[in-house]
Amino acid sequence: MNTSWAVPPPPGTQGQPYGYQSKSQSHIAFKLHKTSRAVPDMSTDPPAYHPVQVRQSFSQPALHYPPMVQQPPQATDQAAEAGEKKKIDWPVPVRNYVQRSFEPGRMDPDVPRAEMEAKLKETISTATEKNVLYTLDWDKLPLPQEMIRHDRRKAAGVAQEAWRQQSAAGKSFVDTSTSKKRKSQELVGDNEDSLPPWRATNPRNGFEDRVTYPAERFDKRQQPIQDENLKGTSKFHKNLEKRQRRFDGGYKSSYKSPSPEPVSGPVIGTCQILEKQYFRLTSAPIPSQVRPESILRQTLDLLKKKWKKEGNYSYICDQFKSMRQDLTVQRIKNAFTVTVYEIHARIALEKGDLGEYNQCQTQLRALYTQNLGGNPVEFKAYRILYFIHTSNRTALNDVLADLTTAEKQEKAIKHALDVRSALALGNYHRFFRLYLETPNMGAYLMDMFVVRERLAAMSNICRAFKPDVPLRFVTEELGFESDSDAAQFICDYNGQALLEEKEGNMRFLSGKAGQIFEVAKSEAFRKVDIKGQI
Amino acid sequence: MNPIFDDFREAYENGDGYLLSQTLSPIPPSSQPQRVYNFFRSTNFAAAQKDLKQQILPFKLDPDESKGWIEIYHAYWKAVGEVLNAENAQKGNTKAAWSKVYDAWKEVLNALIRGYTNCGFEAWTVPCLYVVGKYLRIFAIKADEGSGNSIGAVTSFQDDFNPEAEKNEKLEDAARQLNRIFQICLADRAEIGESRKWGIYNIINLLFKTYFKLNSISLSKNILKAIQAYRGDMPTLDKFPVGHQVTFKYYIGVIYFLDENYAESEKNLTEAWQLCHKDAIRNKELILTYLIPCHLLTTHTLPTLALLSPYPRLQKLFLPLSRCIKKGDLAGFDAALVAGEDEFVKRRIYLTLERGRDIALRNLLRKVFIAGGFEETKDAATPPVRRTRIPVAEFGAAISIGSKETMDNDEVECLLANMIYKNLMKGYIARERGIVVLSKGGAFPGTGV
Repeated sequence: MNTSWAVPPPPGTQGQPYGYQSKSQSHIAFKLHKTSRAVPDMSTDPPAYHPVQVRQSFSQPALHYPPMVQQPPQATDQAAEAGEKKKIDWPVPVRNYVQRSFEPGRMDPDVPRAEMEAKLKETISTATEKNVLYTLDWDKLPLPQEMIRHDRRKAAGVAQEAWRQQSAAGKSFVDTSTSKKRKSQELVGDNEDSLPPWRATNPRNGFEDRVTYPAERFDKRQQPIQDENLKGTSKFHKNLEKRQRRFDGGYKSSYKSPSPEPVSGPVIGTCQILEKQYFRLTSAPIPSQVRPESILRQTLDLLKKKWKKEGNYSYICDQFKSMRQDLTVQRIKNAFTVTVYEIHARIALEKGDLGEYNQCQTQLRALYTQNLGGNPVEFKAYRILYFIHTSNRTALNDVLADLTTAEKQEKAIKHALDVRSALALGNYHRFFRLYLETPNMGAYLMDMFVVRERLAAMSNICRAFKPDVPLRFVTEELGFESDSDAAQFICDYNGQALLEEKEGNMRFLSGKAGQIFEVAKSEAFRKVDIKGQI
Repeated sequence: MNPIFDDFREAYENGDGYLLSQTLSPIPPSSQPQRVYNFFRSTNFAAAQKDLKQQILPFKLDPDESKGWIEIYHAYWKAVGEVLNAENAQKGNTKAAWSKVYDAWKEVLNALIRGYTNCGFEAWTVPCLYVVGKYLRIFAIKADEGSGNSIGAVTSFQDDFNPEAEKNEKLEDAARQLNRIFQICLADRAEIGESRKWGIYNIINLLFKTYFKLNSISLSKNILKAIQAYRGDMPTLDKFPVGHQVTFKYYIGVIYFLDENYAESEKNLTEAWQLCHKDAIRNKELILTYLIPCHLLTTHTLPTLALLSPYPRLQKLFLPLSRCIKKGDLAGFDAALVAGEDEFVKRRIYLTLERGRDIALRNLLRKVFIAGGFEETKDAATPPVRRTRIPVAEFGAAISIGSKETMDNDEVECLLANMIYKNLMKGYIARERGIVVLSKGGAFPGTGV
């Protein structure tokens, strides 16, 4: 059996090879995630993009599926498939089955592609696990869209309202009575007085004014005379406003899908696969592609092992992002959530991925306020160091406001606060002492701004000390590992001429340094630019 | 039916926007404490619109305008009902009640904005926007602070939760609504005498206030960019009502302050201070809260007792630190900073005041310098020269006063280097000899020695 696993990509998707190929037998890395959205389709009429339904509000995610325009097979697929063939030799019937499923004629507009893919994946992986991949009669097997339709009918029999709660497995929503209640309220609230949606959506409803009251026409004609009667009115002004009004509201898109309002509330995932490639949501999550907490726990264990063993950051980061997404859409906020974010934050820190780290710490801050456990002290200390790095004074002030007196006494936090105050007061001596004794993983953060602080300290030293200082003094004051490191640092900024040997000791001619460190310093402080920072 | 419409009539006759705006206040005037209540009780849900029509039509306004006002007062009538209801709401369930108030009040705003865009309301009525905008913000805060479960679960297709969005749901919405008001004032193309642009700074001030509360001060910059882009079509700031100017300059000053641009900050705050009404004690206090730390850094001067005397709160805030800075008492300064930390942090002046320690240190070092006395001169005729070569150890001893441990020499040198670098002290450190050589002509610039 092949150790590297992948389902052949359906036509219309590019089977983009994953950055990571699983070597473990027990876990299956699937690559059926849609990467096709970006593929421009120039050959056929139906657009290649997946139309995404316009978001109507923040509070009610559209949980029905967005209307899909199915894509016909594309020429590029052949190449992609050929690429896959080298790795896995799928039996021909399976390949045909997949091919058939995606034939335009057989597509069902009611069954979104994503769901089909999931079903397909499920079918094939079940067949594989049961070792019937080669024995199953693939030609007679119902196509995934047929299976899904069947499932839906079955689900519809169970509950009258199942058309709202579509789910591949027919068990996606645990609809508690409270959320049912809420749903009905929202339905009423939104379609007030049961107006048709095109009337109800636009809150400004200039449209209504224009359409429903024929009397208005009369008013308009009357208006010039009225103007004369009213004090201080500019006719021009009024007419202008009238003209503007034509564009204001009346013709704004007031289209709203006639489909019923979706149920609000968290998704309950049904996906049983451990790994999942991250994909940014553009429509409501589909339960069959969301992993429930029990699976996510296994995923975390798997990822921890893989990170230790392989250290492939782009893979790990991607996996953690999809985990975070699954947690969010299911509104899981507990100790496990904290753990996921903490681990991702630590890994991102280690790899210097500050954008990702910052996202995690922002979440952690909110999670810690709910007392869900974890290591608030450690991460609050990182947070302080992080804001020192980004020179974000406003945020630093907020951090200070958040800390309790007890927290300020905690070792890691106290360290970070001391770092902050040392820098604020220009006390480089203390700063570099603190740098050398940074607890936890704070050094990864401090490394990011230690160079610029060294330049600041050098500027200071060069201005204040004359005529020279021992190189050793620089080494010690600026927290270098050795004299040669310090010398290297000076040379990096073209300070070779400032090093001089005197009586067997290396000396640094601080008095003659001029502006070189000053210039480098302002340069270093100017650019603190971080990907993903708000 | 109602005294509200007596005022309405009078306002319309005199073109008195402020009087008109008061008819839309959810708070009754002190002279008629029952006015809002009576207004609400004067009609009922079924008859409200018809009753209001009867009230407003006899004024013989432009039909569009009449229709606009009827809608506004109808929305207002509903909103007041919600306010009365929320004020009596049970504890523990205030969130839902105030959320309803907010939503109802938003309808008042929507109707009012429609009045400007569709019904030809004139510019003199802009104070209505002030009042409606002001209470929109207030109700949003009440709704967000209220207790009880929030109704609308916030969901979007984000990968992570957005904790802030849930906490400030209504206020963030209010910021968006205020921005709409801002836009209809800014984009008014009527000639300036009749333009809604005259209302713009009041709305900007409301927006700033909201952004500060939301902790998204950076959004203020968008507003500033927008008015910068329109500056050619806009009267200069000094033509606007003084009250608007003062508040605007205050916020600009604080924004610069937080950006550490103390020079610009001081300029704007000083202008706000000078324009501020003499009896507006609270506003003056707010201005000084930032102007004093600003002044400390830009000019190294401390507030006089006379300046602080009318403001007990500011005395409490600044006097302990000021005393220590003056005396050069580092230990006292640190203690005062810790003691006032919570208050300083709350007002966002902690990080600025902390830098006052440099001034305290400068004053301390200056004392050491003066205590060093004069060089011995052979010639009695030449004027005495101060001793300018001072051992680092002497400074070190001074710095360690009041602290339990002695600071090591390297750190003392570090602090001295800082003083020299920041030009608070002139001279250099000769490390080999362990002395500081100070300038003979003004070792401590600006202090007379």
